[in-house]
Amino acid sequence: MASKLLPWDYGVRNLFRRPSRSALTLGGLSIVVLLVLVVVAFIRGLEASLAATGQPNVVLVYALSSGADIENSAIPARTPSLLAASVAGVRQQQGVKYVSPELYLGTRITVGEHGSEGLGLVRGVTTSAPLVRQQVQILEGAWPAAGEVLVGRLAHSKLGCEKELLAPGASIQFDGRQWRISGVFAAGGAAFESEVWAPLADLQSALKRQDISLVAVGMNSADAVADVDLFCRERIDLELKAISETAYYADLQKHYRPVRMLGWVVVGLVAGSGVFAGLNTMYGAVVGRIRELATLQAIGYRRRAILLTLIQEATLLACGGALAACLLGLLFVNGAAVRFTMGAFMLRVDSVGIALACGTAVILGVVGAIPPAAKAMRLPVVEAIKAI
Amino acid sequence: MSLVEVVDVVKEFKSGEETIRPLDGVHLTIEEGDFVSLMGASGSGKSTLLNLVAGIDEVNSGHIFVGDVDTTQLTRGKLADWRAAHVGYVFQTHNLIPVLTAYENVELPLLLLSMSAAERAKRVEVAMAAVDLTNRAGHYPRQMSGGQEQRVGIARAIVTNPTIVVADEPTGSLDDDTTEQILTLLQRVNRELGMTLLMVTHDADAAQRATRELRLERGHLVENGKPILPRALRTA
Repeated sequence: MASKLLPWDYGVRNLFRRPSRSALTLGGLSIVVLLVLVVVAFIRGLEASLAATGQPNVVLVYALSSGADIENSAIPARTPSLLAASVAGVRQQQGVKYVSPELYLGTRITVGEHGSEGLGLVRGVTTSAPLVRQQVQILEGAWPAAGEVLVGRLAHSKLGCEKELLAPGASIQFDGRQWRISGVFAAGGAAFESEVWAPLADLQSALKRQDISLVAVGMNSADAVADVDLFCRERIDLELKAISETAYYADLQKHYRPVRMLGWVVVGLVAGSGVFAGLNTMYGAVVGRIRELATLQAIGYRRRAILLTLIQEATLLACGGALAACLLGLLFVNGAAVRFTMGAFMLRVDSVGIALACGTAVILGVVGAIPPAAKAMRLPVVEAIKAI
Repeated sequence: MSLVEVVDVVKEFKSGEETIRPLDGVHLTIEEGDFVSLMGASGSGKSTLLNLVAGIDEVNSGHIFVGDVDTTQLTRGKLADWRAAHVGYVFQTHNLIPVLTAYENVELPLLLLSMSAAERAKRVEVAMAAVDLTNRAGHYPRQMSGGQEQRVGIARAIVTNPTIVVADEPTGSLDDDTTEQILTLLQRVNRELGMTLLMVTHDADAAQRATRELRLERGHLVENGKPILPRALRTA
């Protein structure tokens, strides 16, 4: 008899007993869970973007003097051919080696008829780039010819302009030249998606530069990265540094750790405020039912059974809030672009985010119900049974 | 052996610095099939005694035996289980669960006992028929009159076929006609179903419907003008 619980219907029907109070609580809990979902989507999107950008069998070679900032790197234009000729283990197909010389810079880009300007990321590339950056897919249009650029699908977010302004056929301006957009590309969520890719030779000409920023080398295996590193150490005259792309972006992730930590703190604070909302509701719900709860005890229901019913009520409400929040999140948050220093990334409402949101809702329900329920249960039955 | 044996029960309350002792060594024996009414002045402790017999309050000293169980020795959880099986409680203010229908309210105590759904349904139907409310089974408390609510409360109290039914001022919130109906119903429960009843009331007419009339005076029970003595003294 110890485990006999109150009917499930009892808890469910109690939610409809004070519909306006339940609706307000549902709304409040939905907002709390949605905020949690947004913050988690931000963190997950940022992590996914950085993780997707790095590939283990790709090595980045850039100037030793530039530290960790590729934008400041300048290396001789002959570096790609030296690497291709000297390093064993470079991937190749039909005689074409996977070596991509690239010029990378941040610059002001003017977009549209009204000339709105934004700080964009431009990468000068050759047709070798897609060999090394294999996640790149052209969604619309074609590979850029001379005087043209290919824009990433999140470039509009990075530049802070309408997506339509960067459609194929439109023009943008940077470094004193006008560039026609030849197409739009995706890169599997990688940071490249917020970049503008121009033909390397054209970009060098526009910038009056002969050098390049880096060489991305596709290797046969992740182990072959050591061969490139050895080359850089032997050719001290070139002052090069080699690092696997995965390690490079993992290092960058460290810089974003405070942001992620702050995100989790926000999740905690938001969830904490949600607990108070839940507590407020359950105190209201329980105070009005003191006599009823005492009656249940007089009939023979144990305190534990009544406590579980009150938790059930609060948890059901919180789960309803979680469901509403997840639906809103999937419809309006998932895929929304966010700018950051390295470009832009998409908020990501994935299974982890949904699990965390639902988990938060359950915790809100349980934690919000226990104190008021326990308070009601502490009152002696003979006193509670006479409560108004 | 008597059905209920109250032995030297003391119950005290603190009221500020003062200690009030409404029950000061109470003795009571209730036999199976008795319909006992309990009267007394306001604050005399009659509801307190009823609650002690029903197992929802605790004695300061003394013992209460119901059958062969000393309920004063049970833990809180065991006492809840015991109440579910042995006590039917009729409240002054009906105390029906507002979100449950009349049928579900009557069924509620049965969910605590081990029985099949069919047996449960049969018992609810019998109890609803006993209070003549079969046609109101699907109604919620808010859709019923005070008298109908109290009849549902009585059906809920008798549905488990308890050892004792306790009723705390069962007609206290009802008009005269409805009071008459409820008292007649309680008499039927006692005579036709053979259930043992302990009823607290402040109404002398209501008290006379019982088979035994007790009064609580200055912390002691009185029956037919004489104090109820401990069993040992009575037999002597």
